[in-house]
Amino acid sequence: MMMSNAKLNKVPAGDCPQLDINIRVSYQQFELAINLPIPLKGITGIFGHSASGKSTLLRAIAGLEKTLIGDITLTSDGVADKALVSKTLVNSEQGYYLKPEARQIGLVFQNSRLFGHLSVLGNLEFSVKRCKNRQLDLNEVIELTELTTLLEHQVNQLSGGQQQRVALARAILAEPKLLLLDEPLSALDQHSKTQLLKMMLNIQKKLNLPMLYVSHSLDELQQVCDTLLVLAKGKVVNFGNIHQIIHQLNNFDDPTLIHQQTSLSLPIKQFNNGHGLAVLALNAEQDIYLTSDKAFENQTQLRCFILASDISIALTEPSNSSIVNHLFGTIKQISHRKNKVLLTINCGSQEFFVTISAFSQQKLSLNSRQQVYLQFKASAVRTFIH
Amino acid sequence: MINSDLQALVTTLEMAALTTLILLIIGTPLAWYLAKMTSRFKVIIEAVVALPLVLPPTVLGFYLLIAFSPEYLPGQLWQQTTGQQLAFSFSAIVIGSVLYSLPFVVQPLQKAFEQLGDSLLEAGALLGAGPIDRFFSIVLPLTKASFITAASLGFAHTVGEFGVILMIGGNIPGETRVLSIALFDHVEAFDYARAHLLAISLLIGSMVLLAAIYWLNLPKRNNNKNLNQVRSIK
Repeated sequence: MMMSNAKLNKVPAGDCPQLDINIRVSYQQFELAINLPIPLKGITGIFGHSASGKSTLLRAIAGLEKTLIGDITLTSDGVADKALVSKTLVNSEQGYYLKPEARQIGLVFQNSRLFGHLSVLGNLEFSVKRCKNRQLDLNEVIELTELTTLLEHQVNQLSGGQQQRVALARAILAEPKLLLLDEPLSALDQHSKTQLLKMMLNIQKKLNLPMLYVSHSLDELQQVCDTLLVLAKGKVVNFGNIHQIIHQLNNFDDPTLIHQQTSLSLPIKQFNNGHGLAVLALNAEQDIYLTSDKAFENQTQLRCFILASDISIALTEPSNSSIVNHLFGTIKQISHRKNKVLLTINCGSQEFFVTISAFSQQKLSLNSRQQVYLQFKASAVRTFIH
Repeated sequence: MINSDLQALVTTLEMAALTTLILLIIGTPLAWYLAKMTSRFKVIIEAVVALPLVLPPTVLGFYLLIAFSPEYLPGQLWQQTTGQQLAFSFSAIVIGSVLYSLPFVVQPLQKAFEQLGDSLLEAGALLGAGPIDRFFSIVLPLTKASFITAASLGFAHTVGEFGVILMIGGNIPGETRVLSIALFDHVEAFDYARAHLLAISLLIGSMVLLAAIYWLNLPKRNNNKNLNQVRSIK
């Protein structure tokens, strides 16, 4: 705490909030070694198998991992003016270690870790009482997390989803500069998951609070993250735009990590074409049809994915087919895997991923740079309901 | 009850109350330290704390008597600072009781702190609560029942103490003459009526106190309030 003033440095204007990590955490069987600047914008997903170091990374950032070597610096909005201020969280070389309670970093755990001796409101007030320079309105956060009717309840009478909402609200009310989420949905049912994801997205936008979201479920991350960090065995494997990273993961051919797919964010051209299909603009010439949903109506952009196994290849333009989507593209890459072949196909500037059997590949004898048609049903375009 | 017995009762209650207070003040950090300790020396400290459970009170009393005498350093220091002899004083029986009842306070607290674990403390820290704040706002309310248990056991055990007091306190009315000693006196003088009165009051008093502790620790009573409490008394 004493040194924290000395560690604050103004940052040149124009930069964005950022977390600079250069650390090494060693255990007997495991080592986490990360050297990476993470721009803090929106929600950044951290993805990987269990024991890939995801949680250890979050604990190191939060200050709960005491044996690390290296340094972590958080650059975020200052209090007085909106100028960016950078704050050293830990620097092992200088023996500097900022305690978790002084880091202004929130963490929502997998098990909500609510205080059993306090009511829902008591848990929220725990944060409010300890927050300096309060700016958030308690009632606004209660509304955002839909806790209005639960305030007087004892926390262990709540369902798992309700408990996580209290944990989320409690973390937000401490007004952190960065919110960490460690598998917050893994113990919840599908309905609660969707509800909480929606809530997280909404809160992120309303409060402009950057989040790091750890999960082993790519499905969850795809719904809310703009950027994805992939860890394996304690090292960074990929980092970047979520769609690009998912496409890179396709080439790993690891079914426990990812179902090979094309991941897209496309503008909505038409909510309903009169037959229950929505239309997305892929590029100037080509559209993608998918089953429409009421939830699309408030949105201009839609996130969706198409499994590589749901797309088929034709050499001529299919005309007499019930399949509504056929796109024209050029084969960029063919990779053989046992009895399957993974094709990377460029449709305009968008890459698509298609798996066909080795048998079909032999029959069609596809070549690189060959022009083909992709076919997939409207129902093969999967969306996340926001 | 007769005046001298009443005086013994007052001395007993004073001794037990002061002992319990001191035990809570030194026992809490000691229990915390033991609960968080991972060093292999932990077992040695635990054994030392548990020693009064198995040691004959007269052994403890014997060594304390020697330590408290003016010929040895602790007794000397006491005499230099207070001007009074330590052995056979009220202070001596309080110090003796603190050592004698230590495990009854430290063990339930240590168990409660171990069960509480770190997870809620980590959550508290990330919400901006410092260590002292965390102790009073999280640990204390969640382990309240264990504190009540520890204090009650410490108190009751001190009230029932005999051997250590006999060795280091003697039998000075108003100073070191406590109920258990008074009872022994009556028996030696064949005054069974007065002995009965003291014995039955001690019996009922202890019984009521223990029943109250067990009632406080009923699982049903705590289920909705405190998840992480120690529910069993040693």
